[in-house]
Amino acid sequence: MSASQLFLEYMLRASKYALILLSLAIIIRCIRSMLREQYEPETWAYIRTGDGRFPVNHWENILGRAASSDVRIDRKGVSRTHAVLTRNDRGIWQVYDIFARSGVWVNGVRVGEHGLRVNDRDVINLGGVCVRFQEISPEKREKLEEKRSVPGRGVSPAVTLLELTLFQLFLLMQHAILSKQEHLPAIALGFAALAIMQWSCYNAMRVIGRSGFEVETLAFYLSTLGMSVAATSTPDDMYKQILLTLTGVILFLIGGWWLRSLHRTSTMRVPVAAAALALLAVNAVFSDVILGARNWLIIGGYSFQPSELVKVAYVYVGAATLEHLFRERNLYSFVAFSAMCVLALALIGDFGTALVFFVCFLVISFMRSGSIATVILSISGAVIAGLLAVTARPYIGKRFAIWGHVWEDIYDKGYQQVRAMSAAAAGGLFGKGAGAGWLKDIVAGNTDMVFAVICEEQGLIIALCMCLAVLTLAFFAVRSARFGRSAYYSIAACAATTMMLTQLALNVFGSLDILPFTGVTFPFVSRGGSSLLSCWMMMAFIKGADNRREASFAVRPGERIRNAPPPEEPEEEEADDA
Amino acid sequence: MKKITRRAFSVLLLAALVIVGLTTYVLRYIDHGADWALSFNRLNSGSSGELLDRNGVVLASFSADENLYASDALTRTSNYHVTGDYWGRTSTGILSTYWNKMQGFSLLTGTTRSTAATTRLYIDAGLNNTAYAALNGQKGCVLVTNYRTGELVCMVSAPAIDPADQNAVPGEGAFINRALSSVFVPGSIFKLVTAAAAIETVPNIEERRFYCEGKGNIAGVEINCSGEHYTQTFEQALANSCNVAFSKIATLVGQDNMVKYVRTFGFLDSHRLGDIPTAAGSYPLDFVGDPELGWSGIGQSTDLVNPYAMLRFVSAVGNGGVLVEPTMIQGGKPPVKSRFMEAQTADRLKQMMAYNVSYAYDGDFRFTGLKLCAKTGTAELGGDLTSHAWFVGFLDDEEHPYAFVVLVENGGGGLTVASPIAYRVLKHCMQIE
Repeated sequence: MSASQLFLEYMLRASKYALILLSLAIIIRCIRSMLREQYEPETWAYIRTGDGRFPVNHWENILGRAASSDVRIDRKGVSRTHAVLTRNDRGIWQVYDIFARSGVWVNGVRVGEHGLRVNDRDVINLGGVCVRFQEISPEKREKLEEKRSVPGRGVSPAVTLLELTLFQLFLLMQHAILSKQEHLPAIALGFAALAIMQWSCYNAMRVIGRSGFEVETLAFYLSTLGMSVAATSTPDDMYKQILLTLTGVILFLIGGWWLRSLHRTSTMRVPVAAAALALLAVNAVFSDVILGARNWLIIGGYSFQPSELVKVAYVYVGAATLEHLFRERNLYSFVAFSAMCVLALALIGDFGTALVFFVCFLVISFMRSGSIATVILSISGAVIAGLLAVTARPYIGKRFAIWGHVWEDIYDKGYQQVRAMSAAAAGGLFGKGAGAGWLKDIVAGNTDMVFAVICEEQGLIIALCMCLAVLTLAFFAVRSARFGRSAYYSIAACAATTMMLTQLALNVFGSLDILPFTGVTFPFVSRGGSSLLSCWMMMAFIKGADNRREASFAVRPGERIRNAPPPEEPEEEEADDA
Repeated sequence: MKKITRRAFSVLLLAALVIVGLTTYVLRYIDHGADWALSFNRLNSGSSGELLDRNGVVLASFSADENLYASDALTRTSNYHVTGDYWGRTSTGILSTYWNKMQGFSLLTGTTRSTAATTRLYIDAGLNNTAYAALNGQKGCVLVTNYRTGELVCMVSAPAIDPADQNAVPGEGAFINRALSSVFVPGSIFKLVTAAAAIETVPNIEERRFYCEGKGNIAGVEINCSGEHYTQTFEQALANSCNVAFSKIATLVGQDNMVKYVRTFGFLDSHRLGDIPTAAGSYPLDFVGDPELGWSGIGQSTDLVNPYAMLRFVSAVGNGGVLVEPTMIQGGKPPVKSRFMEAQTADRLKQMMAYNVSYAYDGDFRFTGLKLCAKTGTAELGGDLTSHAWFVGFLDDEEHPYAFVVLVENGGGGLTVASPIAYRVLKHCMQIE
């Protein structure tokens, strides 16, 4: 071995360890900042009862006797969940009677089906128990806000982003050593474009005074791995990948901005649902069959998967504000919408995506209704539908038959799985280096078996980090629900991460023969334009639920919107803020 | 919102399932990663390799297209328990135990090699041929190691099988390496162990005289001897392989000390030849009383010895009490050396074994040209079974420092059956570079 070869060998080895250390550092820093640090809820108003003053922490609150109420009024005559108190974008408060037996009055006026406006110092009568509603002036709110923790104090997002930039640099170095020289300029441009995009986003956030950047960092981390997969498997298409990532990021920013207004967001739900169904209908009629599923529309030479856009629409439509949740007919229309989506996907033979929708449906319907019975009923229905599907489409039955026995048929039914497992194991913990694998050249290697491609080239540790990144986003969505302004954002964030987790599970475990092979994409990392766009848009939902102080660009600071002069506050009430 | 927060935990259920799935994968990877990796990466990376003996004789070679063995049938057969086969019928062969490393796989780094890999052994395939031929169809095993360097030059277990012959009918236990995986009644070779223990624990052992009139008794139980030896010294007693004397010596050593030495010499442990584990022997550990202790001191009772463990013992005696652990594969870590017994003990034992050869075995005539120190064993098995024939020892020869164990299962007398095999093998050893 010549000296220069030896040098490259050492560089390659060093870069492997560096990539692992940087991966771990990035993920751990994000976990610390998103899941470990303490954050406090917002305070929007107070409810005064005979027992004292209770803060109103959300835009949507349940008043009632139950411990699960947001403002608990533990008095005789009050129902367990009695009323919903909401605030809209413009700062207008309303109270809704949610079928409380004893009724709700505001200043003596009975609240009807469509709710009633509540103003500062109004008296709300809950079945004979009177409480006083008390607003907070913008100045006071600003003071309260200042007491909340800002993300990024303990864990600087810039440092994490710097680590990610180094990660990209080392990955590029591996490609420089191992990939074909002719592709190198395009590959270098790909990683450079990512670095530019992430720092531009970061700077834009700084300019508008936002300090939460963990969600974006994780998304860029996953996109970096996706860029590496693109570079190793389809280096001729690097420009397309760059363009798609850029479009994804732009759609993410637009989506986040769109979610700032709850009014705008929720009024557009019905049109979005209609558009989604129309898209699926067009798809069912005009689509082409690629890899077993008729899920591709080809427009002007570009193929795209409508179901990926419908995923975003599904989350958008599925989430709902709190006052909606208590009307059964709302849930029924959502069930009908879900059934149509899943049916349309089953009709075109994309059972993997249908399953992703179904799991998402379970989580959304449970979050909306809280009913385990609904979940059990849905699962039994799905099992029956699944059995029907197996009889109707024999090739799905075949996939199930080979499940757990892939090594018995390595040239046909187990072809992809055994190669994925073999390549993944060949990578060991540290991988062979970006560009050095062979699995990428197997059919669907860079999509359905992408976990194994990453295992082979980057090693098991980074492949696990990749899964951990998605898990972290999910845990963060769950944690954010506690501080959510509106149920809409909390449900949407949880639904979005559910989709990603389900895709992860089906993709990773399908290719490793732990689950039947269904052929869905790994969020951000699998090659596939439509999938990449939808993943970035999903991130907007997580940003929309990130209600930490000055964290997310998708959350509007709540004060200084109303034009009405703030009411004078009595002196006595300044004292007890706690 | 509190309700929604609580219901959001349903997402965590999904996350938990993902974590369970990933854990499953990691565990399966640890278990099967090597099999997975090697099944396709050889095809995809074109890796190939070969297994050579110390003289460059090809014992096995593999590439993406085919798996081959040595070119001639005798070499394939006599080396079968060294190489094993590609489908792992014998678990102790190199092709089973060392396959991952030959291919270049480890759990940490995955597949590490894409070019041809050569694995070279210390084994002399020709010497194995000689040993296998000398066994002449009898069940048994032969082991030879260089006691100065630890190079294992000969390991044969019979019957073996020609791995390239698809129609070969395996003989009894053809897939068991008797040298590593089996234990046998030791008989008189165990007197070496009793002697070593006596040298270190019985103060006036050299001054004592032992009287034998063809049989003796310990606490009223009769012990038979092979002959009438009358008055003997310690050294003469070993040369006579006198059961009366050595059962007495075992009682002088005492059971606690016997157990201590049997344990120290590693007869009760499973050892490792590289990555290959060996079988552990046995010795009466619970209190048995003098008569049984006497029998155990002459290698009967419940004594069972693994041939490889015996090789370690004679090898250490030959090397002045320091054991150099035998190794089969070249290019590994430097040999492990350890103090096995006191140097004086080893020297005294060596003298006694040399005396054995010249006085009892008529060495100059029988083992012409060898500076041999050895001990025979004819292990009685009871019933109608023919005894195991043992011959163990070493060459007291700086040029050819080899220790050996020869066992013929149900072969008969140690001197008549096992020692001629040892002689042929050792004569061949004299030619090893």
